[in-house]
Amino acid sequence: MLKGIGLTKSFGGLRAVSSLDFEIRAGEIVGLIGPNGSGKTTLFNLISGFYRPDAGRLFFKGKEITGKPPYVIARLGIGRTFQIVRPLPDFTLIENVRIAVLYGRSGTRDMREATERAEEILQVSGLAEKRHRYPLNLALEDRKRLEIARALAIDPDLLLLDEVFAGLNEKEIEKAVTFTFEIKRRFNLTIFMVEHVMKAIMGTCDRIIVLHHGAKIAEGLPEEVARHPDVVSAYLGKGYVARL
Amino acid sequence: MKPYLKSLLFLAVAGAFALPWLSPPVYFVSLLFVVFMYVVLAESWVLIGGFAGYLSFGHGAFLGIGAYTTALLMNHFHLSPLYVLVSALPAGAAAACVAAVIGYPALRLRGPYFALITLCFAFVMELAVKNLDFLGGPEGLWLKAMGIEVGLARGIFFEVMLVLMLVTVLVVRRVESSRFGAGLKAIKEDEEVAQTLCVDTPRVKLSAFILSAFFPGVAGGLYAYYLSYIHPETVFNIDISILIVLMALFGGGSSYVGPIVGAISLSLVNELLSAFLKAEYARVIYGLLFVVLILYLPDGVISFFRGRKSGAG
Ligand SMILES: Nc1ncnc2c1ncn2[C@@H]1O[C@H](COP(=O)(O)OP(=O)(O)OP(=O)(O)O)[C@@H](O)[C@H]1O
Ligand SMILES: [Mg+2]
Repeated sequence: MLKGIGLTKSFGGLRAVSSLDFEIRAGEIVGLIGPNGSGKTTLFNLISGFYRPDAGRLFFKGKEITGKPPYVIARLGIGRTFQIVRPLPDFTLIENVRIAVLYGRSGTRDMREATERAEEILQVSGLAEKRHRYPLNLALEDRKRLEIARALAIDPDLLLLDEVFAGLNEKEIEKAVTFTFEIKRRFNLTIFMVEHVMKAIMGTCDRIIVLHHGAKIAEGLPEEVARHPDVVSAYLGKGYVARL
Repeated sequence: MKPYLKSLLFLAVAGAFALPWLSPPVYFVSLLFVVFMYVVLAESWVLIGGFAGYLSFGHGAFLGIGAYTTALLMNHFHLSPLYVLVSALPAGAAAACVAAVIGYPALRLRGPYFALITLCFAFVMELAVKNLDFLGGPEGLWLKAMGIEVGLARGIFFEVMLVLMLVTVLVVRRVESSRFGAGLKAIKEDEEVAQTLCVDTPRVKLSAFILSAFFPGVAGGLYAYYLSYIHPETVFNIDISILIVLMALFGGGSSYVGPIVGAISLSLVNELLSAFLKAEYARVIYGLLFVVLILYLPDGVISFFRGRKSGAG
């Protein structure tokens, strides 16, 4: 469904993403992990068209999307959230979601219909009661939900989630995992997610890709990846592996 | 809207339509004509400047383009007085075309860069017109007399400007509550996020810019007839562009109501100032007003009546 070949992106002398090959297949939930600054968000920015890669190509559903602007990529069916949430501050929650319905892929151009659709999506996301509030008055957890709700509202085929579970407690994580499966089924999604919370990753993902300094150092089933010596050393430092 | 407000508004509009035929003082009719024109200018400005947040400081140029287009059409083709009214539309079309050409590159720039480039555009237009002989250069242009009685002509143009004003207000009001308007406001909030939500921002912005130039173009066409003599200083003056921004922001740029309030109140202030003070002092006062506005009333005077949005949930 999504395929990247030799993707590279540098900032000055820093290679944030480096000759990366990867593939996401339809219907999968794929996790993207790696230490801080390993290039995960940069990869999402490349996929969603925020950055143009210095080298390499991207294909979505067999079509090349390299260098296409974000709204073209979104209209082809890639929705995304922002790690640092970016709600439209002077829009109420329902307006935040409705704009995505109005311009998104569902074809709803009528205000009333779009409002109804936006209400449904807020309902699914557990934000229905707060729909007339402004995002800046919400707790972070709810703002993250808004990110997801808005991305869902464009009616995507592929959803990119950037650390939407960060900062949640044990119980909330369990709920979030259920929620992920729920939206995947309801909206018939493929999901590519960045997550630091190991528990959330292990419980949800079919497959995991590990980045380190912008390069892929491992890929495979969650258990395999967790035991992979390069991964362990990337996260914990070489000394830890030596002692194993 | 409350019923009594509605009837009041209806009365005001009906009164305005009747006015020119009740033999009022000429000065009063002229003043209102200019007020209507400024409502058209500020109202249409709001599409791009208020909703999308792209502060155009060159909007007055579209008035000038409309005025000169009309003057050329009128002087080169011999038009009957009736056709004169219709020919204000090509003036609008000319302004819209120029907006398309200018907007395409300019709308890639954001914030102060867009403001600057539009300001430059207005300057260049004024300079160009002053130096082109077929446009009368620094002498300006006379429009051929229409061959109808002056009082009647003045009455007709007053009515047409009134209609144009109402149409502009209704169109902007319609846009405000539409999908198009929502797209523009999303662009103002966060253009990158808008793009991830499928908003085709270059197209939405350009459409707004073109539409926002059309009405001033038509207004310029009417203004040219009304004055029957146009000069770069009267229709291309940079002051007009700045006044438009000031009026729209003074009233409040996020709603169609703001520019009406702003254009009416500032036109009257302008009138009073120029009646009692020298133009230089009037400018200083305007400058101060701008500063106060930006510092203390970023949402315009209409925000007083509404209460601020963000903050209270
Ligand atoms: N716009 C930018 N300009 C300059 N450097 C950047 C930019 N964006 C990212 N970087 C750098 O690129 C590297 C990768 O950053 P990125 O945000 O992709 O990491 P990440 O894996 O998402 O990290 P985290 O887990 O902290 O979110 C970092 O060193 C970062 O400082
Ligand atoms: Mg990140």
